[in-house]
Amino acid sequence: METYYYSQFNHAVVHVALFDDVTNAAAIRSRIVQAARNLGVDGNTEREAVNFAFIDARLISSSLHLQTAIYQALLSEAQGQLRTKTVHSEILWTMNPTNNITEAIRRYGVSDESTTLVVVRVDVSDTPDLQRRMCDIVQGCMVPFQALGQMTDWSIIKKHYKLYSESALKEVQGNLDRERSIIDNIVVSSVAMKNVMT
Amino acid sequence: MLSSLSSKPPTQQLLQSADLVSQGAEAAIYKAYLRQFPTSGHGVDDAAFEASEPVLLKHRFHKHYRHPSLDASLTRQRIAGEARALMRCMRSGVTVPGIRMVDVNEGVLGIEWIDGKSVRQLLPGGAELDEINELEEVDEIHENGAADPIGDYGVSGGRTVHMLIGLYSSSVDALMNMIGVEIAKMHLADIIHGDLTTSNMMLRKQTSDLVLIDFGLAYHSTLVEDKAVDLYVLERAFASTHPDSEPLFSEVLNAYEKRMGKRWLPIKKRLDDVRLRGRKRSMVG
Ligand SMILES: Nc1ncnc2c1ncn2[C@@H]1O[C@H](COP(=O)(O)OP(=O)(O)OP(=O)(O)O)[C@@H](O)[C@H]1O
Ligand SMILES: [Mg+2]
Repeated sequence: METYYYSQFNHAVVHVALFDDVTNAAAIRSRIVQAARNLGVDGNTEREAVNFAFIDARLISSSLHLQTAIYQALLSEAQGQLRTKTVHSEILWTMNPTNNITEAIRRYGVSDESTTLVVVRVDVSDTPDLQRRMCDIVQGCMVPFQALGQMTDWSIIKKHYKLYSESALKEVQGNLDRERSIIDNIVVSSVAMKNVMT
Repeated sequence: MLSSLSSKPPTQQLLQSADLVSQGAEAAIYKAYLRQFPTSGHGVDDAAFEASEPVLLKHRFHKHYRHPSLDASLTRQRIAGEARALMRCMRSGVTVPGIRMVDVNEGVLGIEWIDGKSVRQLLPGGAELDEINELEEVDEIHENGAADPIGDYGVSGGRTVHMLIGLYSSSVDALMNMIGVEIAKMHLADIIHGDLTTSNMMLRKQTSDLVLIDFGLAYHSTLVEDKAVDLYVLERAFASTHPDSEPLFSEVLNAYEKRMGKRWLPIKKRLDDVRLRGRKRSMVG
């Protein structure tokens, strides 16, 4: 698990963790759906239990990609300009190149087939026990963020960002490392400038 | 949740903690970190202590003589325009800084920090006074025989460029070549920079990439005229900043020509026109 500190956002603390070999993705997804529907008191407890962003790790091109989406979501929240219900869903929205919220959650959120997950939690101050709470929900193996590189599915990312005939990629054809770093740079930059893209 | 406290907006706080790099008429430039290190070590793993990369913040501040709502929309347009030009460059394979943060409400664009020097600082005539010491230090290294194999570069006219540039493992010729190639890639994508000078290009330290910066005046155009003027602006910048720059600039044009292929000829013709216009204007003015 990693922890990011932001003094400019009233000292927000953000915890992020990477899970491999996740076996209960479908169950996590249905828990999130149920919690959103359950409006009673136990609904509150359940909503708090799943109050994280669960992101399919295949769609994340680098730690910087994740950090950039978190930053823009924090900014939108602080300015009262969230397009989605919570800062956590805003992270998913920020990652998707289109403005369609349902599509963002379907593409970037946990799906029934997910086996690798990034879990993010935004708090106003350091909250104890977060690692345990993440592990309570996700059945899988928490791994260091360096492992993200092996999980990224570059072909899906290329499809979402329509990166086929770009001259930037043609120029480095055959050099996989260069190609990936160019894609990452485009993806990170697109996330950062989503508000002014069109 | 985070907006409930009535403190200063986050980006203003970020600017307050940032280091001012330069102050222009349109924008202030800062070096900043988007997040901080933990203040106490307990219960935090090592990864959290990893340094985050610095970013460059370009703050287009309020113009008090403009009506506030007009000012806000102009600022928004400028920032959006610069970000979109950078994105078009990136997709076209032009080496430019990546975008890291955008806050149109506060008028701030955050881009990748390029660790390196501007071409202006690397060429003779361009170094500021406080950089001369640095140049001399490098000369000493060379005199002591500990220099890298590139050493000094003879540029025509007998002038020798003492190689601060040697540290960047690039020769002046190679540098001029890279400039020509990057501008050609940009023009092939129909992007006009609008302010090509040797301070608006940097040589990255680790990789020796040439990086074009400052797309605040960039725009989209297919016109030969706009591309020719873009080149002419750079030619004037070379001439006014760097002594005996003709061979340098022709090296830039050589590389540009190679990359542009058959598109070069009309641009060359127009560049000659533009030069003529420029000369006439300076004779009159
Ligand atoms: N991405 C970057 N990384 C590091 N330094 C940079 C970067 N971008 C710009 N700089 C430095 O800051 C200076 C000013 O930046 P820039 O040209 O983008 O702004 P500007 O408002 O046009 O300023 P100026 O009028 O001085 O050109 C540059 O000349 C360069 O030395
Ligand atoms: Mg500039």
